[in-house]
This record gives sequence, C-alpha cells and structure tokens, in this order.
Amino acid sequence: MAAAAAEWDSGSEAGPTGEWPPATASPAKGKAALPEGSDAGASASGSSEAKVDEGNIQEAESSLREGLSLNYEEARALLGRLEYQRGNVEAALRVFDGIDLQAAIQRFQPSLSEKPLTKRSNKLRSDSSNSGSQHAASLVLEAIYLKSMSLQKLGKAMEAAKQCKSVLDAVESIFQCGIPGVMVEQKLQETVSKSVELLPELWKQAGAYQESLASYRRALLSQWNLDDECCTRIQKRFAVFLLYGGVEASPPSLASQTEGSFVPRNNLEEAILLLMILLKKWFLGKTHWDPSVMEHLTFALSLCGQTSVLAKHLEEVLPGIYPRTERWYSLALCYSAASHNEAALNLLKKSLNKNESPNDIMALLLAAKICSSSYLLASEGVDYARRAVKDSESSDGHLKSVALHFLGSCLAKKSRVASSDHQRSLLQTEALKSLNEAISLDRHNAELIFDMGIEYAEQRNLHAALKCAKEFIDATGGSVSKGWRLLSLVLSAQQRYSEAEVVTDAALDETAKWEQGPLLRVRAKLKVAQSLPVEAVEAYRTLLALVQAQRKAYGSIKNSAEEDEDKVSEFEVWQGLANLYSSLSYWRDAEICLQKAKALKTYSATTLHAEGNIHEVGEKIQDALAAYFNALSTEVEHVPSKVSIGVLLSKKGPKYLPVARCFLSDALSLEPTNRMAWFHLGKVHKHDGRLADAADCFQVASMLEDSDPVESFRLL
Amino acid sequence: MPNDAPQQPIHSAKDALDALTSLLGGALPGSIAAADDPAAALLNDPDVAGAVTGRLRGAGSGAGNDTLCRWLYDAFRSNVPELQLAVLRFVPTLAGVYMCRAVSRKPLAGFEAVLLALYAHAAAQRGAGEAETVTLPNLANPSPYHDAKVPPKGKPAELDVAVISLALEPHGTVRATRRARIVGAVLELYHGKLAHMPLSSKMDFLEFCVAWAGTHSRLDDTDKPRLPPAPNATGGAEKWRRVPLPWELFQPVVRIVAHCLLGPSRSDELKAQATRAAECLYWRATETMEGGAVLATRSLVRLSQMVEEPIPEPSFSGAIENMAELEAMRANILNTKN
Repeated sequence: MAAAAAEWDSGSEAGPTGEWPPATASPAKGKAALPEGSDAGASASGSSEAKVDEGNIQEAESSLREGLSLNYEEARALLGRLEYQRGNVEAALRVFDGIDLQAAIQRFQPSLSEKPLTKRSNKLRSDSSNSGSQHAASLVLEAIYLKSMSLQKLGKAMEAAKQCKSVLDAVESIFQCGIPGVMVEQKLQETVSKSVELLPELWKQAGAYQESLASYRRALLSQWNLDDECCTRIQKRFAVFLLYGGVEASPPSLASQTEGSFVPRNNLEEAILLLMILLKKWFLGKTHWDPSVMEHLTFALSLCGQTSVLAKHLEEVLPGIYPRTERWYSLALCYSAASHNEAALNLLKKSLNKNESPNDIMALLLAAKICSSSYLLASEGVDYARRAVKDSESSDGHLKSVALHFLGSCLAKKSRVASSDHQRSLLQTEALKSLNEAISLDRHNAELIFDMGIEYAEQRNLHAALKCAKEFIDATGGSVSKGWRLLSLVLSAQQRYSEAEVVTDAALDETAKWEQGPLLRVRAKLKVAQSLPVEAVEAYRTLLALVQAQRKAYGSIKNSAEEDEDKVSEFEVWQGLANLYSSLSYWRDAEICLQKAKALKTYSATTLHAEGNIHEVGEKIQDALAAYFNALSTEVEHVPSKVSIGVLLSKKGPKYLPVARCFLSDALSLEPTNRMAWFHLGKVHKHDGRLADAADCFQVASMLEDSDPVESFRLL
Repeated sequence: MPNDAPQQPIHSAKDALDALTSLLGGALPGSIAAADDPAAALLNDPDVAGAVTGRLRGAGSGAGNDTLCRWLYDAFRSNVPELQLAVLRFVPTLAGVYMCRAVSRKPLAGFEAVLLALYAHAAAQRGAGEAETVTLPNLANPSPYHDAKVPPKGKPAELDVAVISLALEPHGTVRATRRARIVGAVLELYHGKLAHMPLSSKMDFLEFCVAWAGTHSRLDDTDKPRLPPAPNATGGAEKWRRVPLPWELFQPVVRIVAHCLLGPSRSDELKAQATRAAECLYWRATETMEGGAVLATRSLVRLSQMVEEPIPEPSFSGAIENMAELEAMRANILNTKN
C-alpha cells in the first residue's frame, strides 16, 4: 500500500505516467472540471453526474480500493475531496462521515514518530515508507479539514470547530515535537496551516469565544511551521478579536518565558503587542502592507492616550504608503493630542504650504484650533480659520460652523494683544460676528455658547454674557464646572455678589470635594469683594486645607497636565490671603503670607508686586519701585506692576509724568479693562493740563468700576 | 434606594422573574413567567426586553419611586452573576435615557440609584484607588509572540504605562460634574460583558449613541429612506438629545461602538448601525478637533470601509491532475456498474 501511495505521490510531482489513461490526464480538462463544481453547491448538485448516494459511494470506494490499493479511509478521503471540489458539500460530508480519524492516526503514528525526528532531512526525504505514510496521513487529515469546511458551509460552526480541532490534535499526537520544517510533505503542511488558521474562526462563529481565544494562542505559540503570510493573518485576526471581541480574556500563562520578556496582562496589551509585531514584520519585508493594521493600532493607542507612541510608529512607516500630507496631518493629530502643539503646527505648516495641499480643510481646522490657544499664534490662526471657512462653503454646515468657531476664538485671542484700541474693537466685533454665525449653523454646540459668553464678558456686555452662561449651564446640565464659574463671575461683575454666591454654592454642591478648588477661590474672592474679611479668611482656610490635602495625596504621583489646569496652587492661596491682609492693613500677617508664598515660588511677579505694595504703604518708595521693577523683569507683561510704577512715578513730580503715562498706557494696551490704570492715566492727563483727555479717562474708569469681575475671565 | 414600597428581596433569577412579571402586570406573555431558565429569559427574551426598555423610555420613568428601577437595583444587588448580566443588558437604555434627561435636570433618583449601584460594583471590582493601566510593549524585549535579542547585561527596555481608565472614587450621589465619569464607568462595566449581551441591547446602545453625538452621519444625507426615522418608535414623543461627551464618557462609548462594528457578531444590521454611530462620533470629535478623539473615531470609520479578509478556501491546485485521474476512474466505475 505504501509503495502504491508513493507512486501516486511521485505522479503528482512528475506529471502523469504511463499507468494512467493519457486521454483524461490532460491538465486542461482537469481544470475545466473545477470551476463548474466550485461555483456553488446548490447548482452543482443538480447535475445527475454529481449526485452521489450512499450506494454509489460504497461502490466507488471499493473500486478505488481495488484499483489503487488504497485503504478505506484514503479512498473516502479522495472521493470526498472530489465532491467538495465540485461544490457538493452535503455529499462530501456524507463521504467524510465514514472516516475514523482515531483509527487512522494510530496507524500512522508508529511509522512517523518511531524515527527520531532530527535534522537528517535529505535521507528522510528519500525514505519511501515515511513519505508514503505521510502521504496517507495527509490525505486523511485533509479529508477531516474539508469535512470541517463543509460543516461550516452548512452553518454548523460548532461541529465544524470540533472536527477542525481533531485535525490539530491528530497532528500534534503524530508529531510530538512540533512540525519539522524540512521533512513535511507540502500538502500535509498546507492542511495543517489551513486548519490552524480556520479553527479560531470556527469557534468564533460558534460563539465559543474562550475556545477561540485559546485556539488563537495555540496557533501562534505552538510549532506549526506556518509561513509568514499565514502567521500574519492569524496574528491580525487575533489582535482584532482581542480589541473588539468584548471577551474578558485571562492573560496567556507562560511558564517558559525568558527573563525580561514582555508578557501581556490583558486583552489590550496583547492586541497592541501583536499589532506592533505585525508592523515590524512589514518593515522587515516579511509581509505585504495591510492598512488596517495601522488603523487598529491607531484606535488602540488613541484610546489609552498614547498618541506620542503612535506618532513613532507612523513615522516609521516607509515612504510610499501614505501621501505625505496625510501623514503630516495624522502626525499633527498625534502631537496635538500629546500637547506638543509646536511640533503639530510645524507639520501642519508643511502640509498647508501652497505646493502641498493648502486647502485641506481638516488640517486647516486643526491648525486654527492649535493657534487659538496662544496669543502669539492667534494672528496666524485667523488666517488658517479664514481659509477653512472659505473651504467649507461648499461642504455641509457642520464643518463651516467648526471653522467659524475657531475663527472667532482666534480673533478674540488676537484682540487681546491688539496694538491699538481701534484694531481691538474691530477684532472684537469680528470675533463676535464669527461666533454668532457659527451658532446659527449649530445651535447645540455648548462650547460655542461658552466661548461666546466669554467674549461678551471680556467686552463687558454683561447682559449678553449672563444669557450665554445660563444657556451653557442648561445645555450641559450643569456638568461642566467652568460654566458655573463664568456665571458667578459675570454676576460678580454686575456687582450682584449675593447671587454670585448662591451660584457658587450650587456649583459646589454639584462638584466632588476634590475638584472644588477653583470654586472655593471664587467664593473667597466674592467675600473679599463684599468686604466680609472674616468670612473671606474662613473661605481661604477651607481652600488651603483642600490644596494641602491634594498636595499630600498627589505629592509623589506625577499629575497629568490636564488635571493641573483645574487645580488651585497653594501659592495662589497664600498670595490671595496676603492681598486680603494688606487690604485690611494687617501688614504683619500679609508679610507672613507672602513669605509662605515666596517659599513655594521664588520668582513670582505677583509676590514681588505685593511686596512692593507693602513697601509703598510703609513710604519706602525706592524699595517699592525696586520691587515693582523686579516683578516686571520676571514677567515682562505684568500689568499690576506697570500700573503701580506709573502711579508712583506720577506722584514724583511733573518731570516724571511722560514716563508714568507711558507705563499706564502700556498697561492698558495689555489689559484695556484695568480700571486703576484708566483712573491714574486720567490723573496724569489732568496734571498735564489735558482736561478733556482726563475726563475721558475718568469716565471709562467709572464705567469699568461697575463691571469688574472678582477674578479675570481669562482664568476660565 | 429611596423607595417605601416593601418588596420581596431577590435571591435568585426565579425571584427576579416573578417580581418583574408582577411589576409589569399584563405587559408580558404568560409563558415567560414559567420559563425553564429564568435568568436566560431575563437576558435574552425579546418580550421581556421590549417591556422593560419600553418602561424605561416611558415618560416619568427613573423617578425615586420608579418600581422598575427598584427591581433593577435589587436584581443587581442580589449578587447572582446571571442576574447581574440581565441588569447590564439594560444599561444602554438606562444610561441613554438618563443622560438625555439629566441635562434638563429632572429628578431621576431611580436611575441614579441603579447607576450608583453599578458604579460601586465596578469600583469594588477594580480595587480602591486603582486605575486601569496598559503597559505598552517594547519590541526590544522578547515576548511570547516574537523573539528579540536581549541586551547582554540585560535590563529590559523601559516600558510606557498608559492609563485607560482612571481610579474610581467612591460616590454616594451623582453630582453633575461627575455624571459623565459615573456613566462612563458603568459603560466600561457593560463593555467588559459585551460578549454576553444580546444584539438588541447593542442596538439600543447605538441608537442612543447617535442621539448623544447630536451630529449627522453622512449616510443620513444620502440614504435617508433606508435608515429608521427619529428614534421615537417606542419612546413616544420624547426626543433623545445631544449630551456633553467629555473624554471619560466618549472613550467607553467609542470602545463599545468599536465592538459592534468590528467584533465577532455577523449581524449586518448591527454593523450598519455601528457604522453610522462611528461617523456621528467622528463628526462630534471634529467640533473640538481633540487629537485622540479624532484619531480613534477616524480609524473606526476607515475600518468600517475596509473589507475583511476572508478565511482562505482549500486549494486544490497541487491535486488537479490527480483529480482528473480520479474523476475518470470514477466515471469508469460508474459506467461499468450501470
């Protein structure tokens, strides 16, 4: 039998020999038979020739056995394969059902595994008895594999999986030391690879997710001698299953791992590992490029906020895969998500260059958004946003609304650093116009409403600002803390302190202890504004307790930048207390608080300015001036110091008035709503005899007096 | 749970089913009450699902005296795992209705009690103060799936640790500013059990997901007739609305949508609805151009357009010549016999 099978084998390699009728041996005819059959099981089974009933099978099988000296299993395997190939899945199944795999394995086992499976490959290849029984094994295993495929096609995934598993079990019991690459017949290897790949999918289709998971690991961790492409497909499907399967998988248990090796602890880690391996294989040229791998990795890494790691992988992708502007945009998204705004903007600039794709609306939007967060970049951002608005004319309202929103934000930011009043008011008007237009396109975007409120508040249109603040709280259901703070500050700017306090208290109710810092600070400042020093001190004490507790809790752990934004620093609290005490003329207390503040932050313009204040009250004018100048040298644009210097100089006599005026105007260009600066500028004008100018300044100062919030809207 | 009506404690799935049938009155067909496997009926039966979600969506649901919320609460607190799964099955509707209504600040003590119970469970499961982290692999270190040369005096390469879900602080009430976090954590719990959830539960989730995003999918413009109209079919006149989606809520939502889109289910209906939800979330993300949100949802949209590689069919290329021989022989055999 073995010899006959070996002949068969050699026949398959060397082409038909004299034993076979030459007329039917032409490959062309064989091929012609194939498409008809593999088309669809239903149509093919209609033809009478293809119909095989149990009686015919037995006849055919016995003739085959006689004619080819095949055994029972082998004959069935061959016939079943024929039926399968023709698409007669059900018939194939009936043929395959008669094969007893266990019995067959036992027959193969001794002949295959009694020889030591070592490296003498050349010798073994010529060993006819081995290759013969391998061939027989190959036939039977392929039959079971095809049986599994047939079951799957008939929708019986669970049975299919069991059959497929039995193929792998059989292979494992035949080759106990794994499949040696060089010795295995090609057909057998193909069946093994296909079964290994098929099994997890069958379990998945059957809804047996844990088995699926186990069989993926079995496929990848045992020695199946899979080729790279096959292994790649399995790794990818496994990664996808881990990422999206919704199955809680226990991590792989691996006793025999070398030290220092990475063992994933959960689904996500395992999936990311596999995806990274897949990318690396591609870099090494072992597989073809598969765009979905990068998308899966992008998804996984963005979800855990690791976009800077993602950026590295994107950068490693060889040229020619992504158009370069697309790659730059994706990288910019990664960097901006990781707060590397500068890097992101540089990439976008390259991409938006007139020689690349200057009208890419998404890149324009991202660039405008990044610019809207910085005074220095606002002007550039206006340009990007305008281009985005222009581009979005043709598309739907959504992107246009987004573009207008960013345009408004950039204009507003730019207006804060405008060099002249005229320019500022132009920019402010335009900012409001853009925001209004954006809202008309998208009435439900709460962020838009908030930014609009801030802009109104900055322009001291408090009535409109109040409306926006309320609308924002309604749209968010009070779930965003900054909305409460805006409302409270607007009320405080309208001098409606008690209402502001009610709002602050409501907000405190809706906020977990740990995040109450900014609200408590507002409350303390509201108390100060109402001249309730005892309550103010109390409020600051509560705030201090919270801040110190937070420092203790988080002291050792690195905070993410995002969290820091919403936290009050201990320094601020001491500084606030110092201001409070000095306004009450408790100089000693004020100085103690300042020392505390200084210990936390050595070079701070605010602290130096407060020190200056104390010197000034103590009539030490030179020391006060020195402190103010020091404050300015630590922070060039420190407005309160500029005002204080201006005031001090204006008192030193007519000779200093021009300088004083300079400082005050400077302060006003930075902060046009600074009431003290207007007031003292008015005094300077008066001393100089420009009475009309003086009157104007005093008028502004008095108007502003009624619209100062307890803390700057810019802190929001 | 703020409720005065005394109720039988729930200890088993049977108790729960009995309690539910008496609670829903005639809304359930009688056959369900006699189900052989009450836990499975609660989880999978479409009549039960229809009746319960209908009640949850109904006007005035979720108040402090809502008996259905009470039932969900008791069933979950029974600590019977199958019952907890049955309660989780309703998380999409519960969270969906709750988030939409909470924005209008209606009293929803009933919903909140259930959500807090689920949240407390998630927090206990996680351990106090523990964030859920992911250690990113570095391919310089070997792993079970690949080899790497370990440096001779081998310190393994440094690994980045990412936080996928922050620590769950205990919450006794739902404060507005923590609402998204609480619901987000409950959705993470739901995400962990997705494999057990029936299709209809996921469809409910996707429906609310689209409403929460409040944006339009491009699909809506082109194929209007094909998609269901405004999701009012069972909810009466109430329109589910856009809600704030900070990252702590957005992220678990995206993870669940990703499962519906790319997970093992083969339902085309589910995939179509998930594609729509992914697009809506993408457009929502573009409103703020947050890098992470845009990247994650953009990938989902792109993946939804890619065709999955099929499992390779068996190849007969090596055997075609043999097959021809075999066929001839078989034909011979059959001919001679006939």
